[in-house]
Amino acid sequence: MEQRLANTWRLTVNEKKFIETALHSDLRVDGRRPFDFRELTVKFGREDGSSEVQLGMTHVMGFVSCQLVQPYRDRPNEGTLSVFTEFSPMADPSFEVGRPAESAVELGRVIDRGLRESRAVDTESLCVVSGKFVWSIRIDLHIIDNCGNLVDAANIAALAALLTSRRPECSLGGEDGQEVIVHPPEVREPLPLIIHHLPIAVTFAFIGDENRVVIDPTHFEEGVMGGRLTATLNANGDVCAIQKAGGDGVMQSVIMQCLRIASVKAADITAKIKKAVDSYNTERTLRKIKRQPASVAVHVSEPSQTEVKELSKKHKEKSMLKSEESQSDDMEIETQFSEHDGTTRRDSSSKSFVGGPSSWDPYSKGVDFDELQASLASRGEVMPVEKLEKSRHDKPYEGESPNLLADSAAPLLAETTETGVEIKREKTLKDAVKPKHKRKKKASSNTDAS
Amino acid sequence: MANQTIKLGSGLRQDADTISAMKAGVLRFSNPHKYWVESSQKRYVPCAGDAVLGIVVDCKADNFLVDIKGPSLAFLPVLAFEGGTRRNIPKFEVGTLLYVRVVKANSGMNPELSCMDSTGKAAEFGPLKDGYMFESSTGLSRMLLSSPTCPVLEAFGKNLSFEIAVGLNGRVWVNAESPATIILVANAIMKSESLSAVQQKILVERLLKRVQ
Repeated sequence: MEQRLANTWRLTVNEKKFIETALHSDLRVDGRRPFDFRELTVKFGREDGSSEVQLGMTHVMGFVSCQLVQPYRDRPNEGTLSVFTEFSPMADPSFEVGRPAESAVELGRVIDRGLRESRAVDTESLCVVSGKFVWSIRIDLHIIDNCGNLVDAANIAALAALLTSRRPECSLGGEDGQEVIVHPPEVREPLPLIIHHLPIAVTFAFIGDENRVVIDPTHFEEGVMGGRLTATLNANGDVCAIQKAGGDGVMQSVIMQCLRIASVKAADITAKIKKAVDSYNTERTLRKIKRQPASVAVHVSEPSQTEVKELSKKHKEKSMLKSEESQSDDMEIETQFSEHDGTTRRDSSSKSFVGGPSSWDPYSKGVDFDELQASLASRGEVMPVEKLEKSRHDKPYEGESPNLLADSAAPLLAETTETGVEIKREKTLKDAVKPKHKRKKKASSNTDAS
Repeated sequence: MANQTIKLGSGLRQDADTISAMKAGVLRFSNPHKYWVESSQKRYVPCAGDAVLGIVVDCKADNFLVDIKGPSLAFLPVLAFEGGTRRNIPKFEVGTLLYVRVVKANSGMNPELSCMDSTGKAAEFGPLKDGYMFESSTGLSRMLLSSPTCPVLEAFGKNLSFEIAVGLNGRVWVNAESPATIILVANAIMKSESLSAVQQKILVERLLKRVQ
């Protein structure tokens, strides 16, 4: 009993009074105005799907992982989404191990509701085999430091983690065509999740007898507040969820005012998250491209196949890419280079196509060279479909490329040109076959519903 | 030198002939051969003679239970006030902020506090009214209490009027006429922990310019 008393954090009478009196003159103890958010920083880990969010001194980490499971019987073709929270006693002495507090449960529920009810995550795209295998997305939220407004910070952490998480690509194979093959990330590039919009939680606290409204309450303000309201909105101003659990009653007009403020804040926060995610993705592609020349060098050293000629060509291309990358600060040169690069590649590919079906360009992103070389013949017919699919998945990226380019993303530019080339190549090679028909055929044979 | 005795304080430990540091911090010594390591931490280790800021947690018949950020709650005997008798026991509601002195701090038992100085006078000890209390590290408290007055406090003191009480347990109380002043001083103090003397002065000047 006494130990628990010693561990519980408490406010003094002085602080309570001071917070209320300061609010009378629209001041808050950390120097903010009533409708100012604290500083928000979003960072990402080395792994996909991990994020670290700092809102003032509040610190939350988010992890997204996925697993193949059997779907619920009433929704055979929908993946599942679940949120787990972990409140470490390191974050706040009042958190106890193994016993989730009321606030911990509420936090998980609010975030879960915001994501689920607004259908922010496309769960249908997570289906692999209807009724048998779907992806289950698990969001783990670790509270590292509690300085108030955990809901908003944890929500941002969850969104940032979801935006950067990727699930392994899988296809159906085996003798009966019912066996699910999960491709490791080295073999096939993992796919990002489809997120339709970002539901942002914005918390308001009502303090004092006059129910003065403050946004993003700190730990101290949470100790004083009479009531709290969490509104979850997206950047378009659509209300996804509202949480007002007990506490002081609030006027309807106040709620409407809160929602208006929240929609502005949600737009701000969405922009911040998007910016952070974009820079992460740029860095990720950079890392990927830097890695490739090494693998090529290994292959060049073993001159066994007829593709050596092709390989050397590709090597040239890559070195060109590299030079392009090095000159990323100069946009003009960059575009020149990429154009040049594109033409050369087209040339090389058209030349290599003379060789027959075995000359599928292995230099397409996400396809590992080893694997391709090993099962070139067997996969020759699967490849186009896969590529089509890839280009389909890449469309959102292409759409975003203009503002990404502003961030001097040379490799990304290269990537987009590459996809463009791919599509063209596909047309030149398989212009007899309609791509639509191809996709259908794949859907029937593979039922890879991604 | 060989037959001199030295006294080791917190953070130092003797293993046979060697003395090793047990925590990160600055090695300090006072003249008759006392050595200790001073570090900055959020937790407070009670030490007899320290003046601290405590929060009343519970009122018992004989003691007030006071939170002083230590590993366990401290006892403040109801008679440990100037002229304290059974008749005039002070009444503190839970959450009252007290400026108290640690009298006993033995390991394994709760520390004992007092609201009197060693001569039995109230001195400055007792409940603090109004104002704003914030928590920081023990290092910051020591910096604020250091003997050439800390640059932040000196710079503010020339321009603003405010009251301050610093507890060695890392709690600081500030009071002034207007809430704006309190917020200004409190945030400047919290920010100044990692700044040098010159930087502190610049910070204060900039803040004062913005306010006036």
